[in-house]
Amino acid sequence: MSIQIYAPDGEVGAAPVHLAPSPAVLTNLRIGVLDNAKPNARLLMVRTAEQIAARTGARLTLVTDKGHGGNAATACTPEVLARLAEEVDLVLTGSAD
Amino acid sequence: MAEELLEIVDASPEAVMDFFDDRGWGDGLPLVPPTLERVEAMLAACGGTDPDEVLAVLPPRFGRCTRRMVAVNAVLAGCRPAVMPVLVTAVRALGRPELNLRGVNATTHPVAPLLIVHGEIADRAGFNGGLGAFGPGNRANATTGRAVRLLLLHLAGARPGPGDASTQGQPAKYSYCVAENLAASPWESYPRSLGIDAPSAITVHCGENPHNFHDMETDRPGPILDKAASVMATLGVNNAPIGQGEYFIGLGPEHAATIASHRWTRRDVQSYLYERARLPAGLYRKQFGSLAWLPWMHEVPDDHLMPATGHPDHVKVFVVGGAGKHSCVIPSWGMTKSVTLAVAP
Repeated sequence: MSIQIYAPDGEVGAAPVHLAPSPAVLTNLRIGVLDNAKPNARLLMVRTAEQIAARTGARLTLVTDKGHGGNAATACTPEVLARLAEEVDLVLTGSAD
Repeated sequence: MAEELLEIVDASPEAVMDFFDDRGWGDGLPLVPPTLERVEAMLAACGGTDPDEVLAVLPPRFGRCTRRMVAVNAVLAGCRPAVMPVLVTAVRALGRPELNLRGVNATTHPVAPLLIVHGEIADRAGFNGGLGAFGPGNRANATTGRAVRLLLLHLAGARPGPGDASTQGQPAKYSYCVAENLAASPWESYPRSLGIDAPSAITVHCGENPHNFHDMETDRPGPILDKAASVMATLGVNNAPIGQGEYFIGLGPEHAATIASHRWTRRDVQSYLYERARLPAGLYRKQFGSLAWLPWMHEVPDDHLMPATGHPDHVKVFVVGGAGKHSCVIPSWGMTKSVTLAVAP
């Protein structure tokens, strides 16, 4: 005997957010680091950014926290987001441990 | 209504489980098929309200959670219709920004939303706040908590991996629901202590599993609460490097009666635990490289005894359980605040 049922997941309320396309060439681009306040995150990401810069000709120009004591569980402030959008071409950040 | 209807050719229990499992749905346990008739019976418990009103949009998937979707998942979990107003109100609570559901679902910590049911509806719908309240054995507790988890899996997309990064998970992620034992409480109901004067209410607290403590000897409040304070001020809880998270203290009725017999109020318990649940600031600094403390916490010297949480209001006290000398501490994840709402269908 067949039965008809509802799917349990319903509709999605907001359009999925897609990542911006990665730049094909990093030469002369500005790199930013958004520190998520996880232990050693800043050290890891700054070192990574420095090595990327050395290999590609990009520059590490901005290292920032998320503002107002933000951490991996919270979004950065609109002011920090606006500054990143204005001052750098790509951002290194992380969200986990 | 835009919900998708599906056809299951073989309605045997085994085939139904396979049908959901094949689509990445469910929690791994048997499910009741959400037929149109069963879902309508659930919605009938909502007093003629709009079944397609969006109650909340649940991250990280951003599923639009309507009463109809609550009903679908309540059927799947095995709920009786009487719990629908509790579930609808719980979804509203999950959508409140201070609860931070995005973080709750995304963190590597094993946080799970604890649903506490208060007042008349707890009795009317058969919730257990007495002996063995955290389970097993009571249908309302088990299935309502399970329905919350199914909503998070299906609507919020909180599946291990893409939507739930919890390193180890935890059993409370299957079901986590109790009632407040108001009949055995020496104090006013928990919602009333917050100024919510409604016949029925719910609280959602996103926390760790219950951490038991026991005292079988004393007839004074201090030794009982010192043990609670010891559980609160440990380096292992997620709140240790945060210092501003909430702690729910689930006092067993016998501990609560002992404490109240010395004319201690709920507020006295909160203040005592705020004062006693402490570790040296320097110990926290030594143990954690990153501290999400309140600004003043960074300014105190290493030998200052730092409270486990920044304010007595963060210590939440309610009575739960039956006979025996056991109570529990339920630490929050840290970056979340509990939400208490009057029940509305």
